[in-house]
Amino acid sequence: MRRDVLRIGNYELTSRFFIGTGLFPNPYVQMEAIKASGAQVLTFAIRRINLESTEDDSILQHLQNEPYIYLPNTSGARTADEAVRIARLARASGLSDWIKVEISANERTLLPDPIETLRATEILVKEGFTVLPYISDDPIICKRLEEAGAAAVMPGAAPIGTGLGILNPYNLGLIVEEAQVPIIVDAGLGSVSDVAQAMELGVSGVLMNTPVAKATDPVGMAQAMRMGIEAGRLAYLSGRIDKKRYASASSGFDEYKLK
Amino acid sequence: MELIINGKSQELDARTIQDVIEHYGLAGKPVVVEADGVVLKADQWADTEVHPRMPIELVHFVGGG
Repeated sequence: MRRDVLRIGNYELTSRFFIGTGLFPNPYVQMEAIKASGAQVLTFAIRRINLESTEDDSILQHLQNEPYIYLPNTSGARTADEAVRIARLARASGLSDWIKVEISANERTLLPDPIETLRATEILVKEGFTVLPYISDDPIICKRLEEAGAAAVMPGAAPIGTGLGILNPYNLGLIVEEAQVPIIVDAGLGSVSDVAQAMELGVSGVLMNTPVAKATDPVGMAQAMRMGIEAGRLAYLSGRIDKKRYASASSGFDEYKLK
Repeated sequence: MELIINGKSQELDARTIQDVIEHYGLAGKPVVVEADGVVLKADQWADTEVHPRMPIELVHFVGGG
């Protein structure tokens, strides 16, 4: 089989698993889970330093010298301007020019604000960022983000952290059909079957955090998710059978049946 | 001098942003600074002078999805 790589920005990825770094029980389990996931892209948030205790609470201390691609997010932003500010801060770290635009206007659902997300994407693309917007599973807004120059578009399967799985597989399928850039399902996935379903629908990858970090065994779940992604991807490339209403025997040779 | 660091008033003996960084023991750490609404690269810290009630943000990467 030919080499199956995912191209985003200037990178060629062999893993289709983007993993979040929040909510893990401790840094050791987190590192082991990241390793087990095989992920090359790690997401982060940007927050104020706690000035009361500045003793090495940065997550990066555990990741130094590892060849990961950092994907900081703009979580906490409620407007395009706030997201742009966070993106500029993230880039000034010198660690990455990738940015996940995440703009939530509703505290309860954390659903993305499509208008502000599009605005922020337009601005950040002009500033030379590699922009990966988190967005609702609407085919039209996904296309608009692609046209605005997003390097990949990341529709949610369901609201962040819910683990509800893919609420609208029809829309997700349409998004993939229309897309000229990679589609990464971001948020709302819960189980390996959700992940496999997403990959079978033809998405280019998945971004997950809670389903791994909050699993009883995050390291085991990271590996299971990795296998689910690989299985779903291979299944997508291999072409599933059509569905039929009635049975069709798998043995054949009908005229040689014993009578 | 009174500075507004991460939204809180702080009394600090500092002339430049570099002094602020060192005051909190953040030298050499992956910290990003915004002062007066402008993002500063690390090589600008020593040349950027602080002024009374200057708003300064000290941020870093934390876990997130």
